[in-house]
Amino acid sequence: MDIAAVDRSATLGGSPLHRASPVAKLIAFACLLAAVVVNANVLVVAGIAMMLAAAVVAWRLPGRPIAALAAYPAFFAAVFALASAPDVLVGVLVVAKAVTAALAAIVLVFTTPYPQVFAPLQRVVPGVVGDAMLMTYRSFFLLLEKFGHLLTAVRLRSGFSRRRPVRAARATTQALGGLLLYSFDLAERDYDVMRLRGYEGRLRARLPRSASRPRDAALVGAAVAMLALAVLWRLLWFALNPVSWLVPLLGFALLGVAALYRRRSPHAAR
Amino acid sequence: MSHIHIPDGVLPFWLWGAGWIAALALVALASRMSARADVRRKVPLLGVVAALMLVSMSSEIVPLAYHINLTVVAGVLLGPWLGIIAAFIVEVILAMIGHGGVTVIGLNTLMIGTETALGWALVRGLVRLLGRRRIRPAAFIATILTLATTTTLLVGLVSLAGGGAATTRETGALDPSTLRFENPFSRGVFSVNALRGEEKAPPRPEAYLSVRRFAAVVYTLGPIGWVMEALVTAGVLGYVARVRPTLVFAGALAEERHTEPGHHMEGRP
Repeated sequence: MDIAAVDRSATLGGSPLHRASPVAKLIAFACLLAAVVVNANVLVVAGIAMMLAAAVVAWRLPGRPIAALAAYPAFFAAVFALASAPDVLVGVLVVAKAVTAALAAIVLVFTTPYPQVFAPLQRVVPGVVGDAMLMTYRSFFLLLEKFGHLLTAVRLRSGFSRRRPVRAARATTQALGGLLLYSFDLAERDYDVMRLRGYEGRLRARLPRSASRPRDAALVGAAVAMLALAVLWRLLWFALNPVSWLVPLLGFALLGVAALYRRRSPHAAR
Repeated sequence: MSHIHIPDGVLPFWLWGAGWIAALALVALASRMSARADVRRKVPLLGVVAALMLVSMSSEIVPLAYHINLTVVAGVLLGPWLGIIAAFIVEVILAMIGHGGVTVIGLNTLMIGTETALGWALVRGLVRLLGRRRIRPAAFIATILTLATTTTLLVGLVSLAGGGAATTRETGALDPSTLRFENPFSRGVFSVNALRGEEKAPPRPEAYLSVRRFAAVVYTLGPIGWVMEALVTAGVLGYVARVRPTLVFAGALAEERHTEPGHHMEGRP
C-alpha cells in the first residue's frame, strides 16, 4: 500500500476537487459521513459509494491507491462482522459502511494538503496537540520511507530467511529499534530547525481562499443532497425500501457518465 | 485487538458521542499536565513517536487481521500524559486514511490512551521489581497484561453497543432470511407512499450484535496478537535500552540534559 501517494496527490494534483476550498470539502465530507452513519440500508450506502467512485473516475484521481486504501478497512470490518453480526445483511452493511466512510475520507486527503485538513481542528484543540498533529503527519512519511530502507537493508543481509524465522524476527525488531533511534534524532533536528525559524509554541496553518464559490457551493450541495437522501430513507424506510435499488442504479449511471466524460476529455481534470 | 476496527454508523450515537467528549476532556487535561515543562521541545518528540506508532499500525499482518501498535513503547518513551495526546493524534490521522472510523476516534483514543498509560505504569513497576537488566521480560509481561486489559474493555464496549439498537436496519430491500430482493414493482412503479401519510410505519426491525461470539473471537485471536506485540515491544525496548539506556529508564528529555550539556537549546543547563 503506497501511503506516500496520498501526499503526492494532495500537493501535486490539479483536479476541480483539488481546487475547491478546503472548508467546502470538509463540510462535504462531514455530510457524507453523516449520511453513512444515519443510513441503514445497504443499497443506499452502496449507491453513495458508487457516486463517490464516479467522482474519483471523472476527476482522474489516482484510482489504485484510493481503492487499496478504501478496501483496507473492509478487511477489519469483515472480521468484526463475522465476529458479531447477527445475519448476513448486517455483516454486508457493516463492511459497506466501512468502505464508504473510508472512501469519503480518502478522497478528502487525496485532494487536500494535510495542513489544510488539520487547520480547522488546530483551532479547537490545545496548541501542543495541533502542532504535534502537523509534525506527526510530516514525520509519518519520513519514517515510512526510512523504515522501507531499513527493511531493504535487513533483506539484503538475509534477515528475512524463511529457514531462520527467529533471526528474521530479531532483524526486524532491530530495524524497528533503529527506526526509533532515528526518529529521536529526527525530533532533535526538527526542534532545532523550528527554533531557528522562530517557533514560539504555535504552528499556524493557513486556509486558502475559495477559487470558485459556485463550484464550492455545488460540491456542498451535492453532499447535502446525499445526506438528505440518507435521512429521508431513514425516516420513510417502510415506504422507500421497495425502490432502494434506484440509488445504486443512479450511482452506477453516474459512474458510467463519469467514465464517458473521462474518455472524451482525457486532460480535462489535469 | 487493542483499538476498535468498528466502522462509522455501527455503534450507537450515545456511545461514540460520549467517547468523543471523554477523549477531548482527557486530551485537554493531558495538554495541561504536560505543559508544566517546555512544550515547544515536546512537539517534535511527540510527533515522531506518534508517527512511529502510525508506521507500525499501517503495516498489517493480513492473515491474522493484526498489526503492531507500539503503544507500550510510546507510553515508556513519552509518559502517560503525552502518550494520551499521541493516541488522539494517531487515531485522527488513521481515520483520515480510512483506517478506523471518524466517529470512533474518541473511543479509540481512550483505548490506546489506556494502553500507553497502563503500559508505562506496568513497565516502570516491573523494572523496579525485576531490575534494569530484565527490561525484556518486564516489557513482555507488561504488554501482555496491557493488551489483555484493553481487549476486555473492547468486549465491554461492544456489549454496551449490543444492548441497544446499534445495528438497526431495514429489511425491505433485501430479506435476510431468504437473501432475496423484494420486487420493487410489487406496489406499482409510482406507488411509493412516501408522501401520503396514510400508511403507518411498522416497527423498525432491530438486530443485536452477538457479544458472546465477538468475545469468543477476540479472546481466541487476541492472544496471538498479544504475544506478537509483546515480543516486538520487548525486542525494541531491549535494543534501545542496550544502545541508549536513558531513553528507556530516564525518558528522552532527561537524556538530553545529561548527555549533551553543551547543546544550545533553550531551557538547558
